[in-house]
Amino acid sequence: MNSVIKYLDKTLAAALMLVMASILLCVSWQVISRYMLKDPSSVTEELARFLLIWVGMLGAVYAYRTNSHLGLNLVLDKMSPVYKRMTQVLIQLLVIVFSALVLVFGGYELVDLTLELKQISAALSINMGIVYAVLPISGILLIIYSLVNLSNLFSGKVLETTTQESV
Amino acid sequence: MGMTVFVLLFVFFILLILSVPISFSIGIATLVTMLVSMDLTPAVTTIAQRMVGGLDSFALLAIPFFVLSGLIMGKGGIAKRLIECAMALIGALPGGLALVNVVSCMLFGAISGSAVAATSAIGSFMLPEMKKKGYDPNFSAAVTAAAATTGMLIPPSNILIIYAIASGGVSIAALFMAGYLPGILVGLSLMVVCMIYAKRQGYPTEDRLPLRLVAQKCLAAVPSLFLIFLVIGGIIGGIFTATEAGAIAVFYSMFLSMGVYREVKMSEFPSLLLKSAETTAIVLLLIGASTAMSWLLSFENIPQTFSDFLLALSDNPIIILLLINLVLIVVGAFLDMTPAVLIFTPIFLPVAMQLGMSPLQFGIMMVLNLSIGLCSPPVGAVLFVTCAIAKTKLENIIKPLIPLYFAMFVVLMLVTFVPWVSEAFPRWLGL
Repeated sequence: MNSVIKYLDKTLAAALMLVMASILLCVSWQVISRYMLKDPSSVTEELARFLLIWVGMLGAVYAYRTNSHLGLNLVLDKMSPVYKRMTQVLIQLLVIVFSALVLVFGGYELVDLTLELKQISAALSINMGIVYAVLPISGILLIIYSLVNLSNLFSGKVLETTTQESV
Repeated sequence: MGMTVFVLLFVFFILLILSVPISFSIGIATLVTMLVSMDLTPAVTTIAQRMVGGLDSFALLAIPFFVLSGLIMGKGGIAKRLIECAMALIGALPGGLALVNVVSCMLFGAISGSAVAATSAIGSFMLPEMKKKGYDPNFSAAVTAAAATTGMLIPPSNILIIYAIASGGVSIAALFMAGYLPGILVGLSLMVVCMIYAKRQGYPTEDRLPLRLVAQKCLAAVPSLFLIFLVIGGIIGGIFTATEAGAIAVFYSMFLSMGVYREVKMSEFPSLLLKSAETTAIVLLLIGASTAMSWLLSFENIPQTFSDFLLALSDNPIIILLLINLVLIVVGAFLDMTPAVLIFTPIFLPVAMQLGMSPLQFGIMMVLNLSIGLCSPPVGAVLFVTCAIAKTKLENIIKPLIPLYFAMFVVLMLVTFVPWVSEAFPRWLGL
């Protein structure tokens, strides 16, 4: 089981690096095509936007895995280990419910609707359902990582909280 | 509407206190509130749709780029060169090292766009140096924390991009220009406090360097400072968009740190990409969830109702503006800047506009407010990082922070009541 999770971690990290690098290349090509070729590319603009949606959702999973989403940890940090663990179990359950309802179910409904309506993107001519598919995918990944956290919590570990700022 | 607001706020606060990540707190509170009056399927589909809709924006692409270039710059020996340049120029003034600290934080905060990055890059060099010369470490830590927040106003600044999106279309170029004067004023006011304090304490000044050496140190900082010129000049001159400027900033910082200074290895690049993806995603999930929430707010006509309520409190616009400032300072002390901007812009901006404030001025006022919150207890990454570097405790740096808060507050009042402070630069440039 652990090796499967490790494999998942690595794949997720590799995918994020790849998508970030692609976004960088897309926008650079945007500048080059506009100034050097005098023919601005609308394809790379759209592609960069869609890739950003993927970075946002998959990166949110990664940040959840590394426990670095921003939270008000004032009360949590003051709790005794037992209460801290109970609260963290509750947080995992809430994230599972949200991910299952909004990201997996709502996201699936949205993908289904867009595929049915054949909503096509302007420049790339791909179905928007493919772009939105990141919602159910990230929802499933969030549920998997929450379950991993839960199993850690039940075996007696407390999750580390981090202090960081957004931008 | 009363019921909706109550449910939304109640659920949000409970989740926040339980330390549920803020982005999930916003999402869950929105979901619960919608389920009061809506069926499950349309509710979850709407939230899902608003979330991706909120992320689908070319302007947002600037954020990962500025984060990435900030990460590269943070590693690339740029802090050291900025400090040496500031030292050569103003080190000989009273409280020289404290002033150098402020100016370096301003420059580095502007370049890297992150207050925490500025705190650790400048603080880890300046705090031991100041201690060696006899400065009180608590004072030094307080100065670093306050000065690091000026980078939020001095462009390029991610938080101003986030505000531009939350406000629904204020020009990023105009916001960037609007941030300059207030950001510099905050820096100058902090420097005045430092000078007075240093004189009282009889802190030593640095030796005056020969002119040739001063010129040499300044020249060494030029390539780092050129980034600001490149990015801001390009955006203001209409040569490229903020997003494209971000991509150019990434390549320039790579060229500088990897090619010229050789302090970052190419092999470190993938891990920096990953880190920037993570930081960006934290912000993006907040944006997605807040987009769903602000849809719910406007669906229930809450901003308008709230605005009517606030305007009915007093006929005096000064009182209302002070009230908004007070709320924002308290919010800023608890919430991180990004969620605070995303949540409170749709609520307060309509009020401010009815009082005749431009979205530009309101944005600067809000970010300055939250900057004060960023270096105020109980929550604030900047404070924790400075305390860790200075090896001191949070409670010890509160006292030296008070005169610095006062200085920032004076500038806040200027920004709130004198539109010229934020609007002169953009207007002058025709933005």
